[in-house]
Amino acid sequence: MAKAQGLTWTIDDADHMTQAEIYGEVLTQIGQQNEKVVALTTDLAKSTKIGKFDEKISERFFNFGIAEANMIAIASGMAETGLIPVVSTFAVFASLRAAEFVRTDLCYQKRNVKIIATHSGTSFGQAGTTHHCTEDLSVMRTFSGMTVIAPADARETGKAVAAVIDREGPCYIRIGRGFEPPLYKDMEFDFEIGKANRLRDGTDVAVIACGPCVVHAMDAAEQAAAQGVSVRVLNMHTIKPIDEAAILEAVMDTRRVITVEDHSVIGGLGSAVAEVIAKSGKGCAYRMLGYQDEFSIVGYPDDLMHKYKIDADGIMETIGEVLKAEFEEDEDWEDED
Amino acid sequence: MADHLQELRARVFLRAALPLVKVVAAERPVYRKFLFKAGGVVQFAARDSEQAAWVELGDGTIDVKQGRHDAPSITLTFGDLASLNDFFAGALKAPSISGITGMPSLVRLLPFLLKLKMLMPNVIPEAADEKALKVRMLLYMVTNALSQLNKGGDEAMVKIVAKSPDRIFQWTVENGGPTAYLRMKAGRTKAGRGTYTRRRPFVHMVFPDTDAAFDVLTQKVSTVDAVRYNKLRMEGAMEGGKEIGVLMQRIEALTTGG
Repeated sequence: MAKAQGLTWTIDDADHMTQAEIYGEVLTQIGQQNEKVVALTTDLAKSTKIGKFDEKISERFFNFGIAEANMIAIASGMAETGLIPVVSTFAVFASLRAAEFVRTDLCYQKRNVKIIATHSGTSFGQAGTTHHCTEDLSVMRTFSGMTVIAPADARETGKAVAAVIDREGPCYIRIGRGFEPPLYKDMEFDFEIGKANRLRDGTDVAVIACGPCVVHAMDAAEQAAAQGVSVRVLNMHTIKPIDEAAILEAVMDTRRVITVEDHSVIGGLGSAVAEVIAKSGKGCAYRMLGYQDEFSIVGYPDDLMHKYKIDADGIMETIGEVLKAEFEEDEDWEDED
Repeated sequence: MADHLQELRARVFLRAALPLVKVVAAERPVYRKFLFKAGGVVQFAARDSEQAAWVELGDGTIDVKQGRHDAPSITLTFGDLASLNDFFAGALKAPSISGITGMPSLVRLLPFLLKLKMLMPNVIPEAADEKALKVRMLLYMVTNALSQLNKGGDEAMVKIVAKSPDRIFQWTVENGGPTAYLRMKAGRTKAGRGTYTRRRPFVHMVFPDTDAAFDVLTQKVSTVDAVRYNKLRMEGAMEGGKEIGVLMQRIEALTTGG
């Protein structure tokens, strides 16, 4: 049976495990192989699934109570001793409550600490707006030296966790609550930090998505294909460092680009992609799907994704819109003879 | 009034084929000798249609314009558009001629018109340079004719173009051969020369060399065999290529008899 790179859990396991559970399993496996890895949390061992690490390697597991900033500061100190701390809490606490400590104690000090932020975006649906996190990509992206990753599903999360352990410096992985639909059917796919995965080729429109929106982008591309529209889908799992080459190739090939993220359109994937395009000087019709400078309302995650047009229906609607958009003057339709 | 089919055929002949006299002049220096100290306008028209075109000859230059000239040197007026089309398809059709003083211009033009016969499927040159010329002329004619199908209201083409996003169909003959493209977007089309660089083609038909392009465009080999034997590489949406292939056959049908 196929196994993940260097890991012992299997595809069959993955079919019955949530995104968070897989990361908990992977982290535990890595911890058993690497004594430098320590796990830290803030009374959220069960919710974030980092508690699995505690079950197997309790001597390297630390719970700080509801004290995220302290946890980050201590993680920084642990990293200075050569350990590889992996901290886990809800995204809203990791990125906002503990923001100053992440910035100053981790990034400024270039500490080798990994943050696994769960319940990101609106995945915590009914817990309400206070527990949604639609700003973390933006915040984390601004911190110098921080690697920012938003895996599309459980299997990719497993690969991302393994990858950040091997990467020197602070890293931030944002995942959902754990009920997101799978994108990959097995572990036979590449994952390289900073390199987008082209899941589907197309020349009419490029949809660049991250996190749980990638599955919806693929659904939309299927629907579009049935209508004769050729859609490229990029899984932009790494928001920083972003894959500039893949973005520019998409711009040059399609001239119509849509970004989709379970996040504010300000500062996240959409902004990151827009910065690359603006820097290149190339033109394209461009739409950013996400939370349009507004707080998300309370509701089931699926309903919220529909309301904010980051599901397949919303992406399809935007594909239709962007196909009609102009990105250059089209006055000359005289045939050349 | 001429019927729709004949109007469509005339569009292909007058707007896609006739302008290729400029390609002949550009590619064959010997033909430019016919234009030495030339001057005058040769017009083609039919009694039952507003479609018309004229060829302007200058000293070493030749150009083609659509519509009716204010003061042509000589006008060849066919009894109907079907006759004009048949004339360009190679049939012997006698038009009425007005402007006898323009006869020298017509004489100078005749070699160019005869060279257009090279577009016919039954003309199979052997010499390499003649093959290259045929490939170039065919590519330019096909792209323009496809655009004219849309502009002339061909039902199948209009349907495709109407629902099309901004798409490029590119033809490339590698190793120094010609390139041409057809752009379509929401009801509009444009035939262009060269490589469209602003976006990736929806369909890109790449011939490795002139011989391969010649074999495919003259249907010496089928498209399937051409792909199998590396005479044609289809990049992009295969279904789009198939659609265009059907329309290219339609053009051949129009130019060889409608």
